[in-house]
Order: sequence, then C-alpha cells, then structure tokens
Amino acid sequence: MKSGTERDPAMLFIVAWLVLIALTGISIWSAFLGLGMYAPVVQFGIAATQASIVFVLFMRLKGPPSLKWIFAGSGFFWLTFLYGLSFTDYATRQGWPQHF
Amino acid sequence: MLSRTIAPEIQYADLSQQGETAQLGMWVFITTETLFFGALLFTYFLYRISYPHEFAIAAKDAVLWCGSINIGLIMTSSLTMVLAINAAAEGRRRALIWWLIGTAFLGLGFLGVKGYEYHLDFNDRVVPVINFVMKPGEGPASELFWVFYWVATGLHAIHMTIGICLVLYMLLWRVRRGEITRAYYAPLEVVGLYWSFVDTVWIFLFPAIYLVGRA
Repeated sequence: MKSGTERDPAMLFIVAWLVLIALTGISIWSAFLGLGMYAPVVQFGIAATQASIVFVLFMRLKGPPSLKWIFAGSGFFWLTFLYGLSFTDYATRQGWPQHF
Repeated sequence: MLSRTIAPEIQYADLSQQGETAQLGMWVFITTETLFFGALLFTYFLYRISYPHEFAIAAKDAVLWCGSINIGLIMTSSLTMVLAINAAAEGRRRALIWWLIGTAFLGLGFLGVKGYEYHLDFNDRVVPVINFVMKPGEGPASELFWVFYWVATGLHAIHMTIGICLVLYMLLWRVRRGEITRAYYAPLEVVGLYWSFVDTVWIFLFPAIYLVGRA
C-alpha cells in the first residue's frame, strides 16, 4: 500500500459483484416462498455469505498482512459473547418467548 | 498532472509499513463498528423472536423496491470503490478519478432513494412518536419494528454520508494534489475498507427490514 502487495484482477471483483447481486435476488425470492420460521435463517444465511464475500475480497482479508484476520475476527469474537450471554439470559427466562 | 514523491512519516521504516499500520487502524475501528451494529441487530432479533406476528405485519409497510434498489446501488458502489483502488495501484489516474466519481454518485443515489423512502414512510404514518398510526391487525409491538427501522437506517445513512465525504476528500484533495500514487495509495484503501463495511451493514439490514412478512 504501496501496500506492497498485488491487487486482485478487476474481473474477480466483477464476478464477486454478480454473485452478490444474484444472492440478493435469491434472498428476495425466498421472502415470497412461505418458508415460515426458516425464512430468516435462509435470508440471514445469505446475508452472512454476502458479507463474507465483501470482507474477504472487497476488503482484502485474503491478502497480507495476516494480522488483519485477528483484528477483523476480534469484533465477531466479542459479538459471540454479546449474543451468547444475552440470549442465554432471555432463553432461560420463564415464558419467553410467549408464542413457543 | 501532479504526482508527488511520498516519504514515510518519521515513525515508519517505509511506506509499506505505514500503509499496513493505517489499514490495521481502520480494522480496529471496524471492530468497534461490528460490535455497535451487532448490538443493534441483537435488539432486533430479540424483539422479532418476542413479537413475530406484530413484526411481520408492521414490516409489510416497508418499501421493498426502495430497499432493493439501494442494496443494488451500495453493492455496485463497493465494486466501483475497489476498482478505484485497483486503478490507483496500477497508476491509472484517469480511471481512478472516474471510479471515485462513480462511487460518490452511487452513494448519493443511495441517500436520494433513502430520502424518498423516508418521505413515503412519513406519508404512510410509520414514524414513531412523530407521526405514527397503528393499522388494523397491528399491536403495540409493531411500533418497535419502526423504532428499529428509523434508528438502524438513520445510523446507516449517517455512515453513508461520512463515506461520501471521505470519497470526495480523496477525490478533491488527495488525488488532485497527487498524494494517491502507484507507490502509495493506503489512504484510499482505508476509505475503501470503511465503504465496504458500510455496505455489509446494509446487507444485514436489508433482510431484517424488507423481507419480513412478505409471504
């Protein structure tokens, strides 16, 4: 940067963009399929896939320096604590959620 | 055409080390942003699990075509941004300028569509506290969905605005002054990291807001 590192070819980014757009189309389509409680699983699964593509390719996580992975991963690492501990609290409350 | 010879700051051995440090600094910021938006999404999941029917009914009023156009615009802007960085790395100054202009316009287009959507939302009376009317079939928790909507999209719009300002700063100041060169384009790459992160935030907000209760 100079990063001193080779950039990926433009064609790789264009293909990644096409995949992102296609996945968005699938996500929208899934919303009308009547998947019930599985709909958010599918849609957020697609979103996680799209975000991974953006992180790894567009944000160049796949390139050096590898120390980036520690920095990028730390946010998600601490997020697992936030989600894990907080959902454990709610999931162990009696009568939550009401509709189950 | 300006093209300065850039020397590393005194604390760095070379430009490569300076660039990597800048990049890691942005990743630290992105980590804090991940936790920030992650906590916001946690509240969303909590309320959606607690009040699934109210959320499904309320979310039907979200303007799907606006959200869909915007996810297309923001993903395309991530592409143009990364192509701008490629152009900088290859020393193609004219391409760099045009890709940055394209990125800024796509960002402004996103905000324009968002603004129009806010106008539609206001007319639909789904603005909690200010202009909110509960529709038939909705419960009090429906308003929670719209609180999330305004907080999340509002915060995202602020981030987009900052991103556009950063792109314009690169374009009108750093590039124009010849400070983004083939030898050193770290500032542009750091802005690109921020821009793509804002893209990923919308990637998660899109299904959370626009795809609920459609079937």
